Amino acid sequence: MQKKGSQVSKKIAISITIVLILIATAALPLVVKKDSTINLAILVFLYVTLSSSWNILGGYAGQTNLGHAAFFGLGALTTRLLWLSGRPFILSLLAGACVAVGFALLIGIPAFKLRGVYFSIGTLALAQILYITVGNVFPMITSLPTQALITYQLVPRYYLALVLALLTIGTAYLLVNSRLGLGMMAVREEEDAAESLGVSALQHKLLALSASAFFAGLAGGAFAYYHVGYYPQFPFTPVWTFDAVMIAYIGGTGTIVGPIIGGIFYVVVKELLALKLVELHLIVFGVLFILAVLFLPGGLVEVWSKIQTAFARRARGQEAQAALPRDTGI
Amino acid sequence: MRARLMTMMVIVLLVSTLVTNCTPTPTQAPTPTKEAAAPTEEAAPTEAPPPPAPEFIEVGASIPLTGKYGALGAMVKPGYEYAVQDINDKGGVYVKEYDAQIPIRLTIYDDESDPTKAVSKLETLYSEQNVVAYLGGAASDMHAATAAIAEKNKVPYLGIAFALYAIHQQGYQYLFSPFPKSPAQARDVFEILNAEIPEGERPTKVAIFQETTDWGIELAGLWKENAAQYGYEVVVHEQYAPRSEDFSDMILKAKQAGAEMLLAVPNPPDGIAMFKQMSELGWTPKFSLIIRAPENITWGETMGTVGDYVTIFPGWHHGEKFPGVEELNAKYQAEFGRPADLLTGPAYACVQILADAIERAGTLDRDAIRDAIAATDMTTVVGPVTFNADGTGNVLNPLIQWQNGQQELVWPKDHATADLLYPAPPFEER
Repeated sequence: MQKKGSQVSKKIAISITIVLILIATAALPLVVKKDSTINLAILVFLYVTLSSSWNILGGYAGQTNLGHAAFFGLGALTTRLLWLSGRPFILSLLAGACVAVGFALLIGIPAFKLRGVYFSIGTLALAQILYITVGNVFPMITSLPTQALITYQLVPRYYLALVLALLTIGTAYLLVNSRLGLGMMAVREEEDAAESLGVSALQHKLLALSASAFFAGLAGGAFAYYHVGYYPQFPFTPVWTFDAVMIAYIGGTGTIVGPIIGGIFYVVVKELLALKLVELHLIVFGVLFILAVLFLPGGLVEVWSKIQTAFARRARGQEAQAALPRDTGI
Repeated sequence: MRARLMTMMVIVLLVSTLVTNCTPTPTQAPTPTKEAAAPTEEAAPTEAPPPPAPEFIEVGASIPLTGKYGALGAMVKPGYEYAVQDINDKGGVYVKEYDAQIPIRLTIYDDESDPTKAVSKLETLYSEQNVVAYLGGAASDMHAATAAIAEKNKVPYLGIAFALYAIHQQGYQYLFSPFPKSPAQARDVFEILNAEIPEGERPTKVAIFQETTDWGIELAGLWKENAAQYGYEVVVHEQYAPRSEDFSDMILKAKQAGAEMLLAVPNPPDGIAMFKQMSELGWTPKFSLIIRAPENITWGETMGTVGDYVTIFPGWHHGEKFPGVEELNAKYQAEFGRPADLLTGPAYACVQILADAIERAGTLDRDAIRDAIAATDMTTVVGPVTFNADGTGNVLNPLIQWQNGQQELVWPKDHATADLLYPAPPFEER
């Protein structure tokens, strides 16, 4: 009874914390007027979306996709082309995500014939092909027209990035707690065993890939809306894949909170180091990353569970101490 | 377990100490002083005293110090720093509004050759440092992103190390670049050849190896346009994607067509592969203008005699005889053991132009500084500078040639450190 009560109060505490965080993030542009802070927050949300989307396939379905930048890039390319040619932004954004899903399904069936490291190499190769092709087909820089720059505001970009991050996290949460999510995790743990229990591995992997590509495509679309000028090839660079993977690993793969913590850590700490240390920042960040991997193989989410375990152990120790007969010294 | 945690805590503490004790690289700046040489007209009794001068004139730069453009950024950074140091050693910039000389404080951030990070750095410089002007990094894609942010924030922006003209066709009002652009590069090569080589000996049959990038497309179009105008004929125009490995087909086509001149803008790996294959296939153009790849100081060492006779338009050379170049070279020599690099002079000139504009504007108002930059008419370490309405600079476009493993300035004649060597002897005879 007492245990159930503490679980309910824990749930209430979590709900209150989430609501407070949502209020704080929604109110941020109203309170903070500095463009640099808003800009940093946009990057955090963008990376959280990208990493969470990678986590659906990589963390829950256990397929290490090293071609995630292709989905991000396709979302960015389609959205930018349509939006700058005068189509409504929301439609352009959705079109970008749909193109990413289309490409995912196209490559998914042959790619899933590969397993493990071969799947990773296969997806990396496909993304590289797309990267080079886009560079050849679209060699010109895409810049926002001067008129658009005059009216350019970071705040709508901020809310777009926030909504996409919440949407991705929310969907990942619902997916993971559904029958489909359990199927995905079963495939991750042991594909053959899952198949023998009637779980279609290909179907679940394709579903995870489509969801992953959809949200990566949306993140790409948000990038296209946010960025003032870049080469169309740029969102296809492998760095977008590796950043997403690094964030998921720093935070903790296969968890909902991992990519959020990882995204905040990756963007904010890296930016602070870059501002403070200039030329040395990459070395210091590299050291921090190695330390995180060495000491927290489960990611930063592990810190919280370690603290909880330590507190629980301490409490148990105190209880045991109290239960012992006191030595009166006589 | 405890030992592990302790080790981790010690390392994290060390890193935190390092972070909190380090600051970005602001230049050493003396305290502001009253301008001694400034005219000291006696103020009328009713005239209000000038407002208190700010401690510094804040200027910010986002430079690729790491990543794929790190080598370019390494040439740009000392140029900015030396110029700021030289100006501050003289007390700073006189600003009439405050009737005081104010030192410049330059904050430099590394953008890791990533346009998204460059945008972020420029927003930070604007929000946190309240900079009156931006100094750009290097490479077209970086400038495309950062110049747009300057436009958005209405902050004057001086940038070098990009020749792409398209950026200037966006209608930007705050972008200024005292650096030669594609139209000058496409025109000057024919003008120099016609001036230097007698008719009948000129390499009139032209081969263009066009990279499928924006700059490659832009330059190839301009070269074709200018060739006919100056009496040259494009006999081969081939395209290739960046990072290609096989150029043999286009080389053989050029050889077959009897092309005597090669025009191209390859990146360093492509340029190296292209020339090695030209040497293997036995096609030696009498004249080669290869922008970009041979600008790297390692070209001579990597290519040996195959790399000789190649010419480039890098924007500047340490041999130019403009005021201040000698001092800049001496400073660079003392720190790096060689005269100033190709991008260091133009970077130095950016700060000279900015300081001059602030002094003429007489205020730290960004729009006034922008207008003053637009009206620039001065001599810098890159020579005389004025700006066109689109922000492109009217600047010297020197031609450099690799000779015996050294970059020699061959044009204009009055600055030349060596004569233009023409025609290039066949690769096998070198």
